[in-house]
Amino acid sequence: MRLLIAHHLDNALRSIRSSRVRSFLTMLGVTIGVASVTAILSLSSGANKIIDHQISDLGGNIIVIRPGPTTDPLNNLYRGQLQRDYFAGTLTENDLTEISKLPNIKTISPIMMLSGAIKANNSAKSDSMIVATTPEFNKITDLEIHEGQFLENGISSDTVVIGSDLSRGIFNSDSAVGRKLTIRNQAFTVIGALEKTDTPVNYNLIDTDNAAFINLSVGKKLNQDVIQIQQINVVAQSTNDFDKLISDIERTLQKEHSGEKDFSILTGQKISQPTNRFFYTITGFITAIAAISLVVGGIGIMNIMLVTVAERTREIGIRKALGASNRDIMWQFLIESLLISLIGGALGYDLGYLIALITSNALTFNPVMSWDIALVALAISILMGVVFGLYPAIRAARKDPIESLHEYD
Amino acid sequence: MATTAKTPAIRLKNLEKRFGIGDAETFALNGVNLTIRNGEFVAIMGPSGCGKTTLLNIIGLLDTSYDGEYELDGVLADSISKRKQAKIRSQQIGFIFQNFNLVPRLNIIENVALPLAYKGIGHTKRLVMASEILETFHLNEREYYMPHQLSGGQTQRVAIARALVNQPSIILADEPTGNLDSRASYAIMEELSALHKQGKTILMVTHNPRLTTYASRVITMLDGQIDTDTKVVTDLAEEALKNSKLPKKTRINKRRQNKTARASKRKRK
Repeated sequence: MRLLIAHHLDNALRSIRSSRVRSFLTMLGVTIGVASVTAILSLSSGANKIIDHQISDLGGNIIVIRPGPTTDPLNNLYRGQLQRDYFAGTLTENDLTEISKLPNIKTISPIMMLSGAIKANNSAKSDSMIVATTPEFNKITDLEIHEGQFLENGISSDTVVIGSDLSRGIFNSDSAVGRKLTIRNQAFTVIGALEKTDTPVNYNLIDTDNAAFINLSVGKKLNQDVIQIQQINVVAQSTNDFDKLISDIERTLQKEHSGEKDFSILTGQKISQPTNRFFYTITGFITAIAAISLVVGGIGIMNIMLVTVAERTREIGIRKALGASNRDIMWQFLIESLLISLIGGALGYDLGYLIALITSNALTFNPVMSWDIALVALAISILMGVVFGLYPAIRAARKDPIESLHEYD
Repeated sequence: MATTAKTPAIRLKNLEKRFGIGDAETFALNGVNLTIRNGEFVAIMGPSGCGKTTLLNIIGLLDTSYDGEYELDGVLADSISKRKQAKIRSQQIGFIFQNFNLVPRLNIIENVALPLAYKGIGHTKRLVMASEILETFHLNEREYYMPHQLSGGQTQRVAIARALVNQPSIILADEPTGNLDSRASYAIMEELSALHKQGKTILMVTHNPRLTTYASRVITMLDGQIDTDTKVVTDLAEEALKNSKLPKKTRINKRRQNKTARASKRKRK
């Protein structure tokens, strides 16, 4: 049997080589499908990897608290959850105070995101963010300061720290310290400018290059004296107390929220699941295209294999007369379709990386090359070859040897 | 006869093969009883459509839908699994066809090596064995030609080489010289005759009465039944064939031809 497989492989290679154009066009279907899958997977795991790094840089004992119950980000693909954006936030100033009282906390920092116009020489881009937080924020996230300093306790409240893109946008310059700008028509003085980070994908969901950081108390004032918290970052004193701290936080919040679990406590890998809905929508969209092209490619394989079987009817008769069993014939054609889909898959895998690499120029993270993705591409290729090659192969195997021998007589 | 074994190689009992259904039903074989011993060279003659090829296909285990009994080496063919049947085709039976039936996209040596693949022999060994057998047919210079580059006679010799590469005990030839000129036919018949002398059982379907001179037994068929069944060869003739060169052989051949001529005359009546 092993020797026969070598025979079939040789046979299939020859057949593919003898009709190059046809085989190539057939492979193209698989190639496109596998390429899109590879591109998506490598890009999305590239994005995940960035956040993973951020988390592991923090030493692994960070806890992220977000309002609203945990949802599977993939669910967002087919269940529109946009309304969620308009739900009232469930994390309040009171929650923050209560959690701060818990033992074993090393650092705690809330993030409150505001919208509003930032102006200086020019107006800032509309996607710029105003982030109201505490000085502890930078102890957790560790942003690099280009110039000046980060927010600090006890300094004047009308001070702001800005990201590099924002600085360039409104001042046309990287040196912004000492300059004035207005946020929601209130005057602020820049006390620090951040180094460019290129990590708009991060667990804080803040594009730090394009954000203005102000004090939480100022943010409260800008927001009609209400604090709306999007995220609380907590770092535990030590890894030993980590689990206890999580359950403490959960208990505290549940008590404050009269038993309702309307918040999420995320740790480790869960934080790194990109919650960016847009990202998932795009991913889902491309996945759907990939799935369609895989099916179409598979039908192409089936079509060509049926033609091949018809063309070789006589050969099938000869082979049977010479001692080939039905199973031998089936394998012969199945291996041929498998080879087509495997070569197509291999090309697609390479092409997928190429696409990912080119696309990543426009993005801020690099595609990831991993065995998992290769395995997925391989599995898809094998599956396609088998699923779409089986029917033609069975047809070939069942051909009547006598009728086959008289084909084209 | 030197090579007669205890069990007959092939035994057919009341073999029937029908085509079509209802009113359109016709018998391709209509009660064939036949026993062929090991080492016989049987020529099967008869008009077109009398069931010769059908008989050959059944004996070659290619056609398995028939009524009646077919015993191959004492085993009922019905009771053999499909897979085992393929194995028997691979190892015991060699087919030779009128239209040669080489695989057009494989070269000569690969065509000859093809049956060995289904026997499970490795690639290199296959080619060595194929090369060896092609040498006995003086075709080793053509090993890497494609089938369409050979003449009809050469192609048929390749086909015979392919039929023999597995050392089958039974050779089924369906009009092996039907597409060849008389010179090439002569060469092919000499090859078959040589195989017969090696003790192979040969069943040959032919339209050409002259070719029956090589056979040890001539069967004529008519309307799906065996019409006449004549054994021609005696031990004496066999000996004479072995020991003599051309002149004697032609003499014997002449004698056989007379017999078959008589037989065909009878048939015409």
